[in-house]
Formats: sequence, structure tokens, C-alpha cells
Amino acid sequence: MDNDTGSVNHKLGRVFNIQKFSVHDGPGIRDVVFMKGCPLRCLWCCNPESQNTFPEIGYIQNKCIGIQECGYCIKACPKKAITNSTVETPKIDIDRRLCDHCGKCVDVCPARAITLFGQMMSVEDVIKEVQGGNASWRTGGGITVSGGELLLQADFVHDLLKECKKRGIDTAIETSGYGDWRELERICRHCNLIFYDVKCMDSDKHKAFTGVNNEVILDNILKVASQFPETPVIVRTPVIPEFNDSWKDIKAIVEFITQLQNLTEYELMAYHAFGEPKYRQLGRKYRLERVKPPKKEYISDLQQRANAILKKKSYK
Amino acid sequence: MEAAAKVLTPQEERIIKGLDKEELTTEEAKNKRQRVNKLLARFRKVPRVDIQRALLFTESFQETESLPVVLRWAKAMENVLNKIEVVINDDELIVGTCGGTGRHSILYPELRGCWLEEGLQRLKEQGAYLVSDEDIKTVKEKIVPYWRGKTAHETYISLLPEETRYLIYGDDNYGASGLMQDNANINATLNWAVDYQKVLEKGFLGIKKDAEEKLNSLDVVDPQNHIQKTPFLKAVIIVCDAMIAFAKRYAELAREMARNEKDKIRKKELERIAEVCEWVPANPARTFHEAVQSQWFTQLGCRLEQPTTGVISNGRIDQYLYPYYKKDLEEGRINEDSALELLECLWLKIADFVPLNATNAKSFWEGYAHFEQTVIGGQTRDGQDATNELSYLILKSKKEFPLHYPDLSVRIHSQTPEPFLREVCELIREGTGFPKLLNDEEIIPHLLAQGATLEDARDYTGCACTEIRMINTSTYMVVGGNINLPAALEMALNDGVLKLKGNKQRLGVTTGDARNFATFDELMNAFRLQVEYLVRHFYIRQTALEMTNAMKLAAPLMSSLHDVCMNELTDIHQPLKGGVSADTGNINLNGFGTAVESLAAIKKLVYDDKKITMNELLEALEANFEGKEALRQMLLNAPKYGNNAPYADQIAREVDAMLLTTARKFKTPNGHQYIKFVPVTSHVGLGVVMGATPNGRKAGEPLSEGISPTQGVDMKGPLSTLLSIDRAKSRKYANSLARLLNIKLSPQVVAGEKGLQDLMSMVRTFCDLKLWHLQFNILNSDILRDAQKNPEKYRNLIVRVAGYSAYFVDLSPQLQNEIINRTEHQHM
Repeated sequence: MDNDTGSVNHKLGRVFNIQKFSVHDGPGIRDVVFMKGCPLRCLWCCNPESQNTFPEIGYIQNKCIGIQECGYCIKACPKKAITNSTVETPKIDIDRRLCDHCGKCVDVCPARAITLFGQMMSVEDVIKEVQGGNASWRTGGGITVSGGELLLQADFVHDLLKECKKRGIDTAIETSGYGDWRELERICRHCNLIFYDVKCMDSDKHKAFTGVNNEVILDNILKVASQFPETPVIVRTPVIPEFNDSWKDIKAIVEFITQLQNLTEYELMAYHAFGEPKYRQLGRKYRLERVKPPKKEYISDLQQRANAILKKKSYK
Repeated sequence: MEAAAKVLTPQEERIIKGLDKEELTTEEAKNKRQRVNKLLARFRKVPRVDIQRALLFTESFQETESLPVVLRWAKAMENVLNKIEVVINDDELIVGTCGGTGRHSILYPELRGCWLEEGLQRLKEQGAYLVSDEDIKTVKEKIVPYWRGKTAHETYISLLPEETRYLIYGDDNYGASGLMQDNANINATLNWAVDYQKVLEKGFLGIKKDAEEKLNSLDVVDPQNHIQKTPFLKAVIIVCDAMIAFAKRYAELAREMARNEKDKIRKKELERIAEVCEWVPANPARTFHEAVQSQWFTQLGCRLEQPTTGVISNGRIDQYLYPYYKKDLEEGRINEDSALELLECLWLKIADFVPLNATNAKSFWEGYAHFEQTVIGGQTRDGQDATNELSYLILKSKKEFPLHYPDLSVRIHSQTPEPFLREVCELIREGTGFPKLLNDEEIIPHLLAQGATLEDARDYTGCACTEIRMINTSTYMVVGGNINLPAALEMALNDGVLKLKGNKQRLGVTTGDARNFATFDELMNAFRLQVEYLVRHFYIRQTALEMTNAMKLAAPLMSSLHDVCMNELTDIHQPLKGGVSADTGNINLNGFGTAVESLAAIKKLVYDDKKITMNELLEALEANFEGKEALRQMLLNAPKYGNNAPYADQIAREVDAMLLTTARKFKTPNGHQYIKFVPVTSHVGLGVVMGATPNGRKAGEPLSEGISPTQGVDMKGPLSTLLSIDRAKSRKYANSLARLLNIKLSPQVVAGEKGLQDLMSMVRTFCDLKLWHLQFNILNSDILRDAQKNPEKYRNLIVRVAGYSAYFVDLSPQLQNEIINRTEHQHM
């Protein structure tokens, strides 16, 4: 099956978004495929819809035209989870405890104010969607598989990347590295570029802010470096105030990654709160409400100091 | 997934920093080209209407009633060129004006003269043009009375069957009904460029000599010669002499001014101007300065002779000026800066001339639109890449020269050199909308299919908005008009009834009650019948206009520069045997995206999913969606063209095939008409008078633009848009051209080295996909909103409207909103 060139791959994966025309996730103009489900629960996560493996109902209140004009969803919901809002009349409330994500409200919503995050797609479906942009592949672009954590759907991602390579589509992944090495290894075989998050060297702190320890992550990246020395790795660190924004934290990461022989770039990504509205769409609470994004100058200073160390070790 | 910080384009930065007076944009340029900066500081006044041309033209016509039209035109040109005021302004190096000092418009009473009676007063009141009361009086007393009953427009109207006339004009023969919008007699001819190279190489003495030789060898016993060729050649000789004499008046003035000039440097300059004007355009140009001056005199003559759509094109300027540039550079006469100075003096001359649209359909034309397309790049006649140092220099000038004239376009082809493309994309990134891109890989095969030789096809030039010409081969001159496609769809849904400006009328054919259409195909068929009905009337008007032009117009100067005319000894407005006549698009379709998305929404919701009934849809449209918001949302969220998704794109393709097929069903004396998609700004005007449409668009909102999807519905990034546009191209026949496509990007998308590379990739993709035309707007919509609120702060914010760039604050609020709403392809 794996090497049957003519066959259509019907393996399914749960995808919550395919972002077209992405210019910041690898070379050229790319399509980013976001896989749903993540074993981490980073407090700052700007894509909360990526975390649960199951499909989820999102509600964008300002798109809702209200029950006077519409109200179709209230009638459609078999669980009676949707009601006339008591706070924001004439709009609606969704009782998340009753909702079983059946998607009936999504089908009837004329304004697309209610959406379903997480669709089952076959490898072929995804290829069709991204190959639609095939003009970009001729000009340096490709596909980047992101998440969520793609290792949760490693089988599907493996087949997808393999198929892309076969069709001459450039491949990249964005991973937290938290998963089974055998799966990661299989996936890396079909990757031209790896974005790998290293968030914090202190495992306890890592667990407190992401829900998991970091040993597996650090172990995996060393294995990637030794087994795929030809595949470029870009290490990224989200800089989160009160978590890892001290030079001490960053320096520890930098010193660790100097041993990666395939490291091509180290990128600090400043914390931002743009994901906050999505928490509301999902009826969840955003827990970093009071955290302010770090200053631009502070981040660029950190980045310069990091680069200085890396340069000394001549990582490129 | 990082949200990028807001990045401003260089243009936005200049404005925000308060640098809003006209000046060169870099310190280096300002220092090196102080003259241009001084000239710029005096620019940007509201144009003044200058009546000299109209007066002198009329004066001559009153005396030549007995002569053939071509001779009358030549004599009128002679009168104008001999008597019109000659002016040399401080600091000018390139001289010559069609109507005095400063920004001006001139009048062509022979076309729509009767409109001037009321129109000039209205223009004055609107404040868009300055006109003195005395001039209005002169026009009313000395110009209009002569032309009443004699204008081209009156002849044209009289040749139209009443049914056709009513469809186009309704109750105002100088306005537009909204179903169709007619460009007849606003300009005399289509977009046009002349063979400047001929003047540079031969001079008008050379052209005159050719004409004299031909005249001497004519056998006058042959009646054909006698009635047609002789007057034509005599007319050519008259205009050649008149052009030479006109330049000599400038030489004389320059000499006189030099005599009185105290400043030594200026004195020298004036003496040089005198020498140049004494020599060209009579003789072949010897230097770059002479070549530029000769070019300007030539196009100035064309402007005085006749208005062409978008004003006359500069043609392939980096090609025909290059030998003079190279020679002067080698012989030390010029350097890059002095060459730029001369070119920018030419740009200023071009910017000073504003075409005036003698029409009551004001909302169809906005922002002092003129497109003197200045074309660089592309291929040589033998198929090599044509880029040279002058191409780069002109790109540089566009970066540093702040005015949006002239209109710059770059011909892209598969071998466009990477460094050149890089410079082009750097310029695009500046955010002024320049340059627009024309695609050789689409246009050259198109011209071949029409019977052009490979050499001529490779040598095409851009003209006007997104149109093209082969300067010695193309001969078709008659302007077209617009058809409102969404209006045709409304008629298909209402048994031929259309609501325009709130009034319902049966303007179309009866195609039955849409509630009884059992299938989508029945609706498509009704739509086809309505379109066919409009196209039929379009052909009727086109024939009437072709007849009118042949009867009423002549253009001896433009004809003298055209090989076909000089071979057949016939004016360009007469039927010609040679050349390629069916070479340009005329049936200009508006609202393609609106119509396609409307059809897709109906197919999906009424026929496939049966979520709504036809009756519900029609009632909601009738009510302009009042109380029907849920239904409107369904329409808005139905599959949309432009997202590289087959459902709507397939309908786009079917509609395109239908349009091309329909256009082939009829003929004018010149043959089939071509389909094009160039709205200029008429999609806004046609939208204003239209009711709600089934794509969820409310009454009065603009229609979609060009071949682009409806504003704001293409959400999958510009590459998807490009692919949809490609899929919409049915390629049914080779009778479709000028497919205008506008893509708006946020500055952050193209920031940095990677952004530049990505932009270059997009252009290469556009080239690979063989799309006709592409232009970019790179702006923040926040900036535009702020500009709406504080127009004084953004006086010189340039945006690309549709095939041309305009000052944002000059546009109407509707058009401003339309630009803001165009999808911002912003990555978050």
C-alpha cells in the first residue's frame, strides 16, 4: 500500500485549517495544514481550537445576525444546547456541557457565525486542496504541516508528506517534538525542513506551563540532529513573560541547541494575545489575560545575545 | 502564525511624516535633479479648461465647409498650431503645451459640442475644473452654435434605432442608462500609440517628403486617387508643415527669451531649447534631448488633433529612445541624472494635460484618470529580451518621481531577467500601484491568432488601461462601451424587467417567470438570451459609430505615422484593407464577478441544496434584503469565485464561454467585436443605479471590478485568486482580451527580502498562468480609512483604481469604500 504509486490514499486525518498564502512558515509562499489535537496545553496557545482531538463548535458572536433575523440554530440543536442569550440579546448562548459537536447548527447557520473546527480529511483531500495552489510550488513554496501536534496523527502526516514529496511539493513541519521517536523519525524522512519548538530547559517549569515535561522533547531533537544531519532545523522559542523570558532561560536553550549540527536558525517569537478571541469563540477562559506582550526591543536584544553565542559556535 | 507589526509602504511613510507636497522622494534625487523639484513644487493645481484649441479648430472649420473631411482636419490643425499660445515656463527643458501654462484640459467640440452648453457651467460648479465665465460665454456664443447639428455625437445618435438609443441613454443622450454605458464620442478613438520612432528617425520633413513623392506619382485620372488619396496626401503635407512651424515658434520664443535672460545658466538653456526646437521634429533627432522633445511635440500634436481613450500612449519608450540615450552617454553629452531630468520634464508635460469627459455620467469616470501608458521591458522584434539600461532608469524615476503620471507598465515574459524583475517588484512594493504588468506569454499568442506577424506581435505596446496595440498594424479605432452583466441577470430573473435608479422597466427580452425555471440550466439560458439581446444592440451601436467616425472624423497626423495608412493613402478612420482591424476589445463587460457569484449562489441554494425558493430570493432582492438578513447571509456565504474552488469557478468558465460565443454571433462592417474586462471606474457607477443582486450585494453598492472576484470574497490568498482567474478563462475563441486583475496586499506580506522574493514568485506565477494583466495595491486599509477621515493629510496618497492610479482623496466615498473593501490578503 505504502509504495503502490497508483493508489489513492484514503487515510483520514483531522485537520482544523488549511492556511493559504502563508509567507512565514518556510521558504516561498506556502499552504499550512493545521492538524487538530495536541498533548500539550501551553497557557499562551494562540490556536486553542488546535488542542482537543475531537471536533469543536466555535461561535463568532459578531458574525451572528441574531435570533430576530434568524435563530435557525436554536431550532436545529437536538440537545437544546443553544438558547437565546441572556446577556447579549438578540444573540445566542451555547451550553458547552450539553453540546456534543454534532454540527447541525453549523449546517443551518447562514452567516457562518458557528463553525466546526476539525474536519476529517483524506491525504487525497488535503493534496487536492494544497495542490490547487500548485503555482506556488514552481516558485519556491510548498506545504508546511503544523498543529496541534502532528505527532498525534503521525500515520496520516507521514503519508501526506510522503505523497507530497512524490509529487514534487516541498515539505516542512512544525512540531513540539513531544511524541514517539519512531513516529517522528518516520516523518522526518519526508521533510525538507523542520521547525522545532524548544520552550524551556527547566522540566518542572515546562510542565507547569505546558502540561508536560521536556525530556522527550530534548531527547527527540538530539536524535533528529544525529539521524537527519542533512535536514535543516529551525528552533523556535515562544518568549512568554513570567515563564521563559529571562536571559537565563533563553541562554540555557541556546547552549543546549549549540550541539545540533543541523541547526540553521534560532528564532524567538514574542508572546502575543491575538488568540484570545478564539478562547471566547470556544467558550473557554483565556488564562494569560493579565500578561502583557514583551517589548520589541527586549526581544531583539535577546535574539542578538542568542545569535552571538550561536555564531561563536558557528552553527551554520 | 506571528502577527506581524504594521509595516508602512514608503509612500505611506512619506505622507504620515507630513511630506505631502510634491517633490522627488529621495534626498539624492532632490539634490541631483533640483530643476525637477522646482517644477514639481509648482504642480498639482485643479486643472483649468483652456478653450484655445476649440476656438481655433472651430474658426477653421467655419471656413472649410466645402473641403473633404481629411483636408478640413489638416487645415484646422494648421490653424491651431499656427495660432495657439506658445509658452516656455521657468526651468522647463522640454517645451510645448496644448493649452497654456499649468494643468489644463482642452475641448473637442466636434465630438460632443452640444454638451458644452450646459456642461461647462456644471463642471465649474462642481469645482473639479476651473473655467472662467468669459470662456463659458465664448464657448456658448462662438463655439456651440457652429457645431449644433454637426457634431459626431448627434450624427451617431441619429443613426441609432430608438430602441438601441433608449437602452443606452434612457432620457439623456449625454448620460448613461445604467444598463449599458456608452463611451461614444467621449473620445474620438480607442486607446492609441503612434510610431514615435518614425518621427525620431525621419523627422516630419522626411514624412512630408514621402507624402510629396507619393502625391507626385499619383495618376489623377484614376477617380479613386482623386477623391481619396490626393486629399489625404495633401492633408499629411499640411500637418507635417504645421508641426514643423509650431516647433519653430517655440524656437523663436526661446531665442527671444534667451536674449532677455539675465541668468547665464538659464540663458544657455534657452539657447539650447531654441536649437532643439529649430531642428526637431522637422529633422531626425541627433541627441537624447532632441529625441525627447520630438516625442513630446509628436504626442502634443496628436492630443490637439483628436482625443484618444486614456490619452495617447508613450509606447515602448525604453526601446525607441535607447539609441539616443546610449550614444549621448558614450559621447559624454548626458549622464544618468541629466537623462532622468529630461524624462521627468516630459512626465510633467504629460501630467499637465487632463482629459475632460464631456458626459453627464460623472460617476463612471473618476480621479482625473489618464493613462499615457509608458511601456518598458518585453521582447524585441526578434524575440530577445528587450530590457536595457533605460528600462532600469525609468523604473528608478518612477520610484523617485512623485506624480502618478505617466502610467507605467512592464511587459513580463518567461525570460524577463531576474534583476529586472527584482527592481520591478521593489517598485511595486513602494505602494503606488506602479507598474502594472502585461503578460507577453498571453498577449503575443493572442495577436498571432488575429493574424499578426510574429515580429509585429512581439513589438506590441500597452495602451490606455490594460489594452494593447501594434502601432503600425492595428487599425481599429472605434470606441466601445460597457454592458452591465448583473443587470442582464436581473432581467433573466424578472422576465426582462430591470429596476434602475428605482424605476422598473421592461428593457430586456421576455424570458419567462424565473419561478418556473425547473433547472439551473433554464436560468443560464435566460441569462444568455438577455446578454445576447444586449450584445445585439451593442453591435447596432458599434456599426452606427463606425459609420459616424468614417463620415465625421479624420486624423491626418496620426495617419501619417501609420504604415497601413501611408501605404493605402487613406485616413485611419476610413475602412482599410491592410493591417489587423479586429484587434481590440470593445464589448466591455462590467460586474463579471458579481454575475458569476450570483449564479453560483442561486445554483447552490435554489437548485442543488433547495434551501431557498426562487420566489423567496426574488422577494428578498425586491426588498433589498430588508428583514431578509438570514437569506442574504446564505447568499454571501455561498461558494464564491476567486477561491480556487471548482463550484463557482466552473460557472465563471461557463459564463466566459457564453460571452465569447455570443460576441461571435454578430458583426459590424469591421467584423466581430472583442470581449474585454476593463471597468476603469464604471463598475461603481453601474452599481449605484442597480438594485440588490443574488450574491448578497445590496442596492447601490459597486459591482465587481474587471475580471476580479467580488470585492472581499476571495479569501484564500492571491495565488488562489490567480488560479481562479485562470480557470475562468474558457479559451473558447481568441476574442477575449484586456482581462483586468487587481490584487491588494498588505505591506507586511511583501516586507523584507523574503517578501520581495515572494512577490517575484507571484509575478512569475502570473506569467506562467498566462493571465493578461496584473496590478497590485499594497496598502493598509487602516491607512485608507484614516485618509477618508482626514483627506487633507493624505492629499497625495496614490492608489491603483483600475488600470490607473489616482489620488485617493479625489475619489468618491463609494469608490474609496470599494478600495478599502477589496480583500486585504493579509497573513496573520
